[in-house]
Amino acid sequence: MAGHNHPSYLKIYITLVILFIVSVAGPEVAPAFGVFAKPIVLLTAFGIAIWKAYLVCAYFMHLKFEKIYAPYILLACFSLLFVFFFGTATDAMFANGHNWVKPVSEEAAVEEAKARSYVLHGSHDDHGEDQHDDSDGADHDDDHDSGDKEH
Amino acid sequence: MAEVAHAEVGHGDAHDDHHEQSFWSKYVFSTDHKIIGFQYMFTGMAMALIGGYFAYVFRMQLAFPGNSIPFWGTLSPAAYNSLVTNHGTIMIFWVAMPVLIAAMGNFLIPLMIGCDDMVFPRVNRLSYQIFLLSAIVLIISFFVPGGGFGGAWTAYPPLSAKAEYNSTPFGAPLWLIAVTLEIVAFLLGGINFITTTMNARAKGMKMYDIPMIVWMIVIASILFMCSVGPLIAGAVMLLFDQTLGTAFFDAAAGGDPVLWQHLFWFFGHPEVYVVLLPAFGIVGEITCTFARKKLFSYKLILYSTIGLGILSFFVWAHHQFISGVDPRATYLFTTTTLLISIPVAIIMFAYIATLYGGSIRFTTAMLFGLAFTGEFLLGGVTGIWLGSSGVDIYLHDTYFVLAHFHYTFVPIAIIATFAAVYYWFPKMFGRKMNETLGKFHFWGTIIPFNGIFIPLFILGAGGQHRRIYNYQHFPDLAGADMQDMRVFATISLIVMLAFQLVFIANFIISLKKGEKAGKNPWKANTLEWITESPPPHGNFGETMPTVYRGPYEYSVEGREQDYWPQNEKPESEPS
Ligand code: HEM
Ligand SMILES: [Cu+2]
Repeated sequence: MAGHNHPSYLKIYITLVILFIVSVAGPEVAPAFGVFAKPIVLLTAFGIAIWKAYLVCAYFMHLKFEKIYAPYILLACFSLLFVFFFGTATDAMFANGHNWVKPVSEEAAVEEAKARSYVLHGSHDDHGEDQHDDSDGADHDDDHDSGDKEH
Repeated sequence: MAEVAHAEVGHGDAHDDHHEQSFWSKYVFSTDHKIIGFQYMFTGMAMALIGGYFAYVFRMQLAFPGNSIPFWGTLSPAAYNSLVTNHGTIMIFWVAMPVLIAAMGNFLIPLMIGCDDMVFPRVNRLSYQIFLLSAIVLIISFFVPGGGFGGAWTAYPPLSAKAEYNSTPFGAPLWLIAVTLEIVAFLLGGINFITTTMNARAKGMKMYDIPMIVWMIVIASILFMCSVGPLIAGAVMLLFDQTLGTAFFDAAAGGDPVLWQHLFWFFGHPEVYVVLLPAFGIVGEITCTFARKKLFSYKLILYSTIGLGILSFFVWAHHQFISGVDPRATYLFTTTTLLISIPVAIIMFAYIATLYGGSIRFTTAMLFGLAFTGEFLLGGVTGIWLGSSGVDIYLHDTYFVLAHFHYTFVPIAIIATFAAVYYWFPKMFGRKMNETLGKFHFWGTIIPFNGIFIPLFILGAGGQHRRIYNYQHFPDLAGADMQDMRVFATISLIVMLAFQLVFIANFIISLKKGEKAGKNPWKANTLEWITESPPPHGNFGETMPTVYRGPYEYSVEGREQDYWPQNEKPESEPS
């Protein structure tokens, strides 16, 4: 590693501190600028964060002085983060599952199945058979249990 | 620390320094990659005995529910859950991973690429020590109040997150800690595999001269590194949910239980390829050696493997088709899942094409290698069915899924491992294993294996759910025909386990009395076969090998011998 000409880490550190001050100050003063408030917040908070991250990766993580594949590996990890976020977002962001329309017919089907399980229980106890053919497995078990308990 | 310094300094003269090592520094605190490989291998095998014993106990319960089980007693529902959970955990994290990746990677990589040790020997030693610690933590977790964790190896919350649900207040956190430690161990190991292969190859060994198994282990390590982050993050979050009262996965408090499934399977699916790839590598080496043929389409296999690795990050939600994920996402994940079978199929076909026209030698190692190819095919094909979300809505969480992944995991963790042991045993210990006992063991393993899992396919397709203590409580599943199949599977398991005694006996007898192997008993090309068996500390003695050709030059026309070691000087070149 001796061959490389490393910049002064102190300088990088001071740059980071200055950037940090700017990124804190930016959003504080932004409201004074009226219509420009939003872009200023974005630039100072996020733009500078990206710049700081770049400095840390390039100098403190040494990526600038590594073989070219090292930064690519880091980029690959970022893209995996993106993949993960993309694949998860559709439901992680809507923990209650209302990101997709719950068909009314589905609820109706559940109600219907519940009703039927009472009927079946009322008449006989060779339950199960009939239900199997026309309701889906997962819900079916639950219905059973609740049916059982209520009897 | 003398032995540490040695690997970092050139080796030549350092060897003579440590002829008189104590048992402890030679076998316990060693930094020699071969010893660390053995440590991983024997720990993995010991854990396999525990995992196998657990399987025996819960299969007995399923076949003869409620009866007292020999060598256990009556099995309670809580203990049943704990056994099933820890069986799965052990087999994946403490058997397949250490034996296939760590043991094979450690033992083979430096030998096959012609260097004297891993580039970071102390990191390597630390890797094993953390692994051992993780195994100890896991074993301790069986004996704490409340017993071992019983929320399945996938540890879905809310069951895993709250002691009031899983009733294992200590078992559950210990389980998580053990898994996390184990992962740390493999990250440390992986760093070594990748760096060593990239930087320490023998003179003349170009990228396409690297034996396929080394590539496979390196790619598997990269997959592991790229996929494991979410799991570690998730494990810490779950641990906080369990112990500190956070609510990352608690829907009632605004958390999201399905998020855990994403974190787990984002790791979980690449993980199945992490164990698959080394097995592919093992079988590739063995197939070439015993078919006396060049590996069919080396580069295609390599690129397929890389493609498979990349694709494996895009399929994880096929485990969650009915967990309430967005139905639109299932289209996407079905498509990627079906796509991933293409590179897998390419590799399988390349192995079959390698056999074509070869002069095949049915040694025990080769039999296990061929069995891998055949049996894994069944696992892969059933995976494609499950990958279609429509089919999976019915089959999810049934024994069909269970049979699917046992048809992948058993070929990987059992069959390919045996292939590797029979093949490299002469290199590891200087003697061959007994072939007659080996073949006896082979048939005694393969036939019962199918006997266990074919009935389970049928049961699963018939609607038998997984993770159930006693099917007699379910009128639909309690029929005599179904129970007969359960009994059949259990008896097959007992037969299979019994035949492993043949292997253990063969192993021990061969260590002492096996036929002396010499340097290259199988007449193979790769570099590990040019050194002594077992290889000395530093591997190749005074002169390190130079490589002149790829690893699979078998039956080359115009040569007297049907093999051509990688380090043999071409005749044209003056010496
Ligand atoms: C062609 C390749 C494969 C495909 C398309 C595939 C597909 C699938 C699918 C869709 C499931 C989910 C089924 C469900 O839970 O309803 C599944 C489960 C599983 N597969 Fe595979 N698979 C493949 C290869 C493998 C391999 C190589 C392994 C192991 C080394 C493996 C291990 C597993 C495991 C452990 C599970 C069950 C996890 C659990 O719920 O406990 N699969 N597979
Ligand atoms: Cu999967």
